[in-house]
Amino acid sequence: MQWPKIMNTSRKTGDDDWPASGIWLCLHFAQLPIEVFCRDRKDHPVVVSCRQKIQYMNQSASLIGIKSGNSMDTAYTVTNQIVNFERDEEKEFATLSHLAQWAYQFTPCVSIKAPHSLLLDVSGCLKLFLGLPNLVQEVRSGLARLGYSAAIGISVTPLAALCFAEACFAEAERGIDKNVVDSFDNTIISKVADSLQQVPVNALRIDKKIEESLQQMGIHTVGSLLALPTDGLSRRFGIFFADYLQRLVGEKPDPQKFIGEDPRFHSDITFLSDVTNIQSLAFPVKRLIAELCDFLQVRQLQLNHLVFKLSHRCHPAKQFSIYLANPENDAAMFLMLTQLQLDKINDMPEVDNISLSANSFSQADAHSGDLFHGTSFRQKDGRLHNNSDRDRTSRLLNMFRARLGPQTCFGLSLANDHRPEKAWKTVRLNKKDYWFPEKEDRQNQRPLYLLNKPRFLLSTNGRPNMEGTLDLTLGPERIDFGWWDGNDAARDYYVARQSCGAHYWVYQDMKTREWFLHGIFS
Amino acid sequence: MLRDLSKNQSLQLLLHDTELWRASSIDCDFRQGITTGFPVLDGHLPGAGWPDDGVTELLHDQQGIGELRLLTPALARLSQTQTRWLLWVSPPYIPYPPALLKAGIDLTSILIVNPKTANDTLWVLEKALASKSCSAVLAWPGNINEKQIRRLQVASKEGNTWNILFRPAKAAERASPAELRIQLFPPKTSPSRHTSPSEHTSVDFRILKRRGGWSSEILNVPFEDRLNQITPDFPSLSIATEDISTRSLRDSALFQEIPEFESHDFDVLFEDRELMEIHAMAEDNEHQ
Repeated sequence: MQWPKIMNTSRKTGDDDWPASGIWLCLHFAQLPIEVFCRDRKDHPVVVSCRQKIQYMNQSASLIGIKSGNSMDTAYTVTNQIVNFERDEEKEFATLSHLAQWAYQFTPCVSIKAPHSLLLDVSGCLKLFLGLPNLVQEVRSGLARLGYSAAIGISVTPLAALCFAEACFAEAERGIDKNVVDSFDNTIISKVADSLQQVPVNALRIDKKIEESLQQMGIHTVGSLLALPTDGLSRRFGIFFADYLQRLVGEKPDPQKFIGEDPRFHSDITFLSDVTNIQSLAFPVKRLIAELCDFLQVRQLQLNHLVFKLSHRCHPAKQFSIYLANPENDAAMFLMLTQLQLDKINDMPEVDNISLSANSFSQADAHSGDLFHGTSFRQKDGRLHNNSDRDRTSRLLNMFRARLGPQTCFGLSLANDHRPEKAWKTVRLNKKDYWFPEKEDRQNQRPLYLLNKPRFLLSTNGRPNMEGTLDLTLGPERIDFGWWDGNDAARDYYVARQSCGAHYWVYQDMKTREWFLHGIFS
Repeated sequence: MLRDLSKNQSLQLLLHDTELWRASSIDCDFRQGITTGFPVLDGHLPGAGWPDDGVTELLHDQQGIGELRLLTPALARLSQTQTRWLLWVSPPYIPYPPALLKAGIDLTSILIVNPKTANDTLWVLEKALASKSCSAVLAWPGNINEKQIRRLQVASKEGNTWNILFRPAKAAERASPAELRIQLFPPKTSPSRHTSPSEHTSVDFRILKRRGGWSSEILNVPFEDRLNQITPDFPSLSIATEDISTRSLRDSALFQEIPEFESHDFDVLFEDRELMEIHAMAEDNEHQ
């Protein structure tokens, strides 16, 4: 049966042809050990070695004749351009988990098959992505954006999909490009065995010893393996092998362990050569931010804190954070703020790795579009309000905080205290931080400028003196407050006029009878 | 004769009741400014009020002669009618919230930024002016040259933002690309001690540069603030007791008189506050 037929029948309910167990899509990242280090540069020969033996190499390395198993010395005699990384399996697994989280955008049923594969149950999401060919296309282009390459296998059992993917990679190595979607025409469990006929045995996930003995027996394809009697195979190779074969063809159920949703984001890029100009990090940063924004978008999340880390093997790592005024999911904004932070960095001579991580997220608000875009409307509170105003004001605040530090920008609010120095506070510009008295009863004069610390004034004949005697005009206003918390104030406040016309707010401490300047009526 | 009269009347009608463009009128570009709240000042400014964009310079040497009170009615209006920020860039002292609120300014629209260096100050000013997200930007830029003011002028036109620069009076000697320059003086008719002619204060001003007009003579703006009102029973409070005068003598020996304010006042305060904010932020993160 051809695929388009299934698309048609999918509208009918209870179609017999529809597979009950699901459709499994396997992503096999055969080049993952290489791609964790260099996913942006494909043209440079890169090898990954373990104990000076080359294990993996990229295409340009294999083109110049480097083979797996060569020693590093051999590779260096071939070319001195080669870049070598020590294999890092921990990093491979971390990247695979990250890719699993990425694949979460297609289906919630994602399972990790170590070392280099992911299994996706896509039967539930075919309609959303308009059919399997489209879905595969989306997966492919998404991976290409991330800079990873994967062989794709599709089948109705997870193990068969895995098998197809590995076979597909092996064929691609030999230069055969098969269209996986066209080759997937078996939707009924009973036909899995038929579809596996031509697959070589070395694509199976079985013990190397078993594989060798099968080869010696002259069994090269799965078809000839499956033709053998099952009880004979289990007697010869053990019960696990028979069990594997049964799961492979779908005779036994094969439940998978799906990943949970990981509420964290971490991604990094390693450079093949050291980056000495911090400004040229703009491109990798853009890529990381695009990844982050995809991550946020498919989960409908926003964030207001992200952390970049620049590191180099010879220097201490440098980390910087970006705080936003409001949670956002705006790549352009993240990019601009990161650029501001990068401009400030001047003590990082070289960088060979940049990573971006984010841990705390908040749910995205649903944004409804604006029909009359950019038009101001008068709101109930009498203000002219424009939707883009809100974005712009928070954008400005974000910029200031990114360049000057989060503490240099603040707002002002009243505070519930009678002492003038405590009748106000700075706020971090959250609406909930502001405090206003329930009824305004401020009949007394208050200066527009307040000194942080009252300044001692000399006095002559009991009158304050500042470049000549001050004339006391308005007052006294007695403020006697706070004896209970140790910072008590017992003061008589006056408005004082200087002979040159300036007006000050001065007070006389009632205990010491000293005069202080506290404010300026600017 | 009757016809002449009607002709005259219609001429008057034309002049008064329609928006006829007259070369002699200074607001010939029909700009409508933000009313200053002071009729004297309105009468001398193009557009009968403060401009809503461009750089306005206020030149004065002495703090406290009314440089902010001159602006508060307009700032209050801006904060009430617009949702944009009212940005203060490194003010010399704390703009005191109770007084701002009393002047009618919406505190939630106030944003204060204290850049550490002169370069950062200019960066903040230019970004804020061009961002279209501030209705007015008040700045105490310290040393600033003509080229820099020109950039601010361009940015403020682009962002439709009013920029007010407070500068020392000696800047009046140099030319500036600012659109409006006003010098402030203490009132000439300084009231003699104890006998105040008016209970309100005032400030003298001279417009050095404006669009569509020459510089003006020195004029006086009265404030409705009752600051000069003398409390009637005040003389009874003149408590010149012996111990105070001796103390003041001792103090004068100890503390040399400090004639000028220290401008780092604000910084000291914010170092404490910064710590507090960092703690608050850490707490927030923990909650999350």
